[in-house]
Amino acid sequence: MRLLLVEDEEKLARLVKRALVSERFSVDVARTGRAGMDLANTYDYDLMILDLQLPELSGSEILRRVRRGNPNVPVLILTARDAVADKVAHFEAGADDYLTKPFAMAELIVRVKSLLRRGTGRRENILRINDLELDRLTQQVRKGGRSIELTAKEYALLEYLMANSDRVLSRSMILTHVWDEGFQGATNIVDVYVRHLRNKIGDDDQKLIRTTRGVGYAIRGDGPA
Amino acid sequence: MNTRSIRFRLGAWYAGLLGLLLILFGGFVYFTLEQFLERSLQENLSKEAQTIGEALLSKIGQTGDKYVIDEIEEHFAPRTTSHFLRVTRGDGSILYQSGQPQDASFDPDKVTTARLNEPAAWSEQDTPNGRKVLVYSMTYSDAGGIRYAIQAGASNNQILQVLRGLLLSLAIVLPLIVGAAIGGGYLFTRKALRPLDQIATIAEKITSRNLNERMPEIGTGDELQKLAVALNRMMARLEDSFHHVHRFSADASHEIRTPLTILRGELESLLETHGMTSELRESLGSALEETERLSRIVEQLLEMTRLEAGEKIADFKRFDLAEMTRTAVDQMRLLADEKNVRLNFAGTENLHVLGDPIRLRQVVVNLVDNAIKYTSPGGSISVSSVHAYDRAILEVADTGIGIPTDALPHVFERFYRVDGARSRQLGGTGLGLAIVKSICTAFGGDVTVESSAGSGTTFRVELPLEPGRLPNL
Repeated sequence: MRLLLVEDEEKLARLVKRALVSERFSVDVARTGRAGMDLANTYDYDLMILDLQLPELSGSEILRRVRRGNPNVPVLILTARDAVADKVAHFEAGADDYLTKPFAMAELIVRVKSLLRRGTGRRENILRINDLELDRLTQQVRKGGRSIELTAKEYALLEYLMANSDRVLSRSMILTHVWDEGFQGATNIVDVYVRHLRNKIGDDDQKLIRTTRGVGYAIRGDGPA
Repeated sequence: MNTRSIRFRLGAWYAGLLGLLLILFGGFVYFTLEQFLERSLQENLSKEAQTIGEALLSKIGQTGDKYVIDEIEEHFAPRTTSHFLRVTRGDGSILYQSGQPQDASFDPDKVTTARLNEPAAWSEQDTPNGRKVLVYSMTYSDAGGIRYAIQAGASNNQILQVLRGLLLSLAIVLPLIVGAAIGGGYLFTRKALRPLDQIATIAEKITSRNLNERMPEIGTGDELQKLAVALNRMMARLEDSFHHVHRFSADASHEIRTPLTILRGELESLLETHGMTSELRESLGSALEETERLSRIVEQLLEMTRLEAGEKIADFKRFDLAEMTRTAVDQMRLLADEKNVRLNFAGTENLHVLGDPIRLRQVVVNLVDNAIKYTSPGGSISVSSVHAYDRAILEVADTGIGIPTDALPHVFERFYRVDGARSRQLGGTGLGLAIVKSICTAFGGDVTVESSAGSGTTFRVELPLEPGRLPNL
């Protein structure tokens, strides 16, 4: 998978590239809008990540030009502006997703993977971690063959963690995904739900759902991911 | 009617002044006319007396008494003119005396007889009907030395009648003039001051959200136009500086975001490093937590700036506040259970309001989260959403530690912390309640707080119900 990243902030570009490369993507980085446009015209990318405020050529302009020639390539916008009006404008201009700074690298990776999956329409119906099994079609969860009753929010939390296994998901990612932005004020609701979930899936020693202080939670199996 | 209004005061002043001037003028006319009438009556009477003497009595020797009497009757017709005339001979006998006057204003027989040889003089005599008779008495000596006393008089009745007529017309005309002045003045000032009402109405509505509004163009060329233009210029300057501040906050937040992203990314990638001591891991985690908090502060500050600047809210729709509150409370119940705090909800159905449900859920979540934090185990929290007239009322009441009275006015201020150390420890940004306030204001509502230290706190949110959708009371 070949990705194009257009970001003028050197350090941020380096960080994003490193995170993407560790996920086994190959990444081309452009530091100006014009360089990004040249690369986009030259190669056939699987996905593009555009910053909006760029020297020479703005991210919006690149998006517009790219869409003229290639309507299908997924485009993720990175920006420091998160006004509702801006978001609507960019979705209308053809952006597939929109990530507001500051963001966690994990969030970026999750979004990128989901965008790439959307293209292929591939989605696993059964998620498995060790002997924990989640069936997305029946919404059933089993541990060692025994069925576990979960509330809707607990199920949504577990599904989100398992779909992104081995990745540390931040509280705000979990809040936005499982609840909505209105719950940002409920500071420890995620912790409480994780604790309940751990109880129900018999993970009292926290081997399955692990806490990374300052970052969030990740579900990890013993075997190879 | 507002007696302090300019319209009323101007009208009252003008009417009062005009009335006073008219009364003075009327008085002046009255007295001048009275003087004039009296003087002309006097002239008339004295001329009559002299004419009787010089034209008739002087020739009485040739003409005889009868002629003189006839001449007086014919020439002066005292009955018709209601004058009094009397000629007395030197021996006191009366040569001539006029009869009853036509207007019966006096009795000629009662008029005192003049004595001979006294100089010409005026005298006044009261009559039973309250009038006065004005009498001119003079002595006439003819060429032969025979003397007569001539008296000419008249009642002041006619003068009084004229003056009464004048008073009557003044009494009718004066109120008419004053009334017309009041009415005309009222209409004129109302027309002239109407722009002032408009200016006040618009100025009343101006908040940080609609600074782009302007006073209507008044083309009157008067002081009010000057006022409107000055106000408009002031508002333009305010709007300008407000935009500056707004843009600054927005720019500052945006500028902080990129370094924050980098900081967070670097710290996270450090955590991935293998072979780190647990202390180092702890420190990194702590640093990340603070980065997270910093991010939230920046986000919330920006959100408040946007709400206050009245930025368009994309997701503005009609929804059931009670239903939304019930769901949000249900989702928070686990947090309350954890702390052994009871969380109850009571609400009316179909409490429809207009707004952004996610933003308003933020209000419920922030208030309930706050209540849980400051309520000790065993306490309880009651959330209710009901309607009162045209408002939806959302209340979150706890039995918690309460807020000290001196802190109450400040709880909605940014970064105000009642108990700094404790709330920071609980992970707050110090902006939760400020955001609640901003959101409520943005949707045309308000939030208030009541509390007594030790026994609990009640937050009360009021929002306008969707117009035309008032529930049946």
